Amino acid sequence: MEEGHTEERMLVRKIEEGTVIDHIPDWKAETVARVLRLDRLAKLQADISVAILQNVSSKSRGRKDIVKIDRWQVDEKDADILSLVFPTITVNYVNDWKVSKYHPKVPDTIEGRIRCAEVQCITNAEREPVVSKFMTLKRDRMLQCAYCDSLLEFDNVPDHVRS
Amino acid sequence: MGKDSDFLGRDIVSIRDFKRDQLEHLFQKVEDLEKSSHSLDGALKGRLAALLFFEPSTRTHSSFQIAASTLGMQVTGFASPAGSSVSKGETLHDTIRMFEGYGADCFVIRHPKPGAATFAAETTDRPVINAGDGSREHPTQAMIDLFAIRKAFGRLDGLKVGILGDLKYGRTASSLAYSLSNYEVEMTFIAPDALQMRPEVQHFLKQRGIVSKSERDLRNVVGNLDVLYVTRIQKERIPDPTEFEKVKGLYQVNLAALKEAKPTLRVLHPLPRVDELAAELDATNYADYFVQAAAGLPLRMVLLNLVLGGGGS
Repeated sequence: MEEGHTEERMLVRKIEEGTVIDHIPDWKAETVARVLRLDRLAKLQADISVAILQNVSSKSRGRKDIVKIDRWQVDEKDADILSLVFPTITVNYVNDWKVSKYHPKVPDTIEGRIRCAEVQCITNAEREPVVSKFMTLKRDRMLQCAYCDSLLEFDNVPDHVRS
Repeated sequence: MGKDSDFLGRDIVSIRDFKRDQLEHLFQKVEDLEKSSHSLDGALKGRLAALLFFEPSTRTHSSFQIAASTLGMQVTGFASPAGSSVSKGETLHDTIRMFEGYGADCFVIRHPKPGAATFAAETTDRPVINAGDGSREHPTQAMIDLFAIRKAFGRLDGLKVGILGDLKYGRTASSLAYSLSNYEVEMTFIAPDALQMRPEVQHFLKQRGIVSKSERDLRNVVGNLDVLYVTRIQKERIPDPTEFEKVKGLYQVNLAALKEAKPTLRVLHPLPRVDELAAELDATNYADYFVQAAAGLPLRMVLLNLVLGGGGS
């Protein structure tokens, strides 16, 4: 959070509890919101606020986006999925004003959170009690469905996150 | 070297799960059975095979049924979802659990959804044999195909194999390509761009260092091939009917199409054929598809016997 700090502070206040997703490529914050399924938060009817900062100046990136979620801890597994699409992101958990960094890692497998791109895949069958599962092919930046074998590029993951 | 225990209690979900020495062991057992055709009769007496075909099948269902019966097994299940509780909406999961409760010792499952075989294998601890799951795989057909090619040439290494037709939706084509990757074989995929081999198959072959070529026109490569594997265009697997109309009738294999072929070329087809393989080939030396089909029975007998540990000589 050190870069673009002043500009960011002008736009949004510091948070006491929550999550700050930093170093998002510029103008990609909406995709981050989609992958993290932030629309779910509305259903919780909790006192959670989300600030999306776009095109903030950054020493290393030139420009970047930031997503601040007040009073909500993003699941590490969701952060890991996010890093498939945006490897540069950092996740800062804020507890009682103290910041701890989490560096997302590409998981070996991903279960449940992503829909298989093959519509016919058994994991997309309506009534079968089966949970989607993918292996990550890190070198190729792809996921492979553990059931139907179909491939999904990391960049296309946001279109297949389960709502 | 492959051994009987490599197959014992095992799910046959993907042909990729089998190494060359295991396949060779299987083929040796099939040859043994062909020499002594009654050696496995009754080897699985008292066992129950559940043949669950969520998609209609004649050939595969019949050959598994005859194989199981010859081994002395009782056979239950259905050859098509029509008339079964599946047509009322029962899930694959529940159907398996039900037949498991009836004492099935193994399952032979065909299902229209890719990945169904893997899910089925997770659902039960009894062995599951994939008899085709959507466009994904048909491992026992690939075993039959390899066996037939091996029988015709006495080897697989060094052969040039063309796989033609609906490679995108055809499960036999992908399983054959996977299985051939165990051998020193040159593969050419002959199909229109829209029906070329799926990315995951190409990716697998690349990972294994297999060089394969894609080709649109059979005439450009036919003179170079030792084996031409022809597949049917699977209308039911093509979501867009206009796409089907565009490719229907293309890639017909007849005497004219094989004008430049080597006299030793062997043509295979998993059958049933529609109009992609002319009947005029049946009486030629090229035609190997009925020999290939006949191998289905002994191979499935041997496989069931190995998976269920039936012994026999």
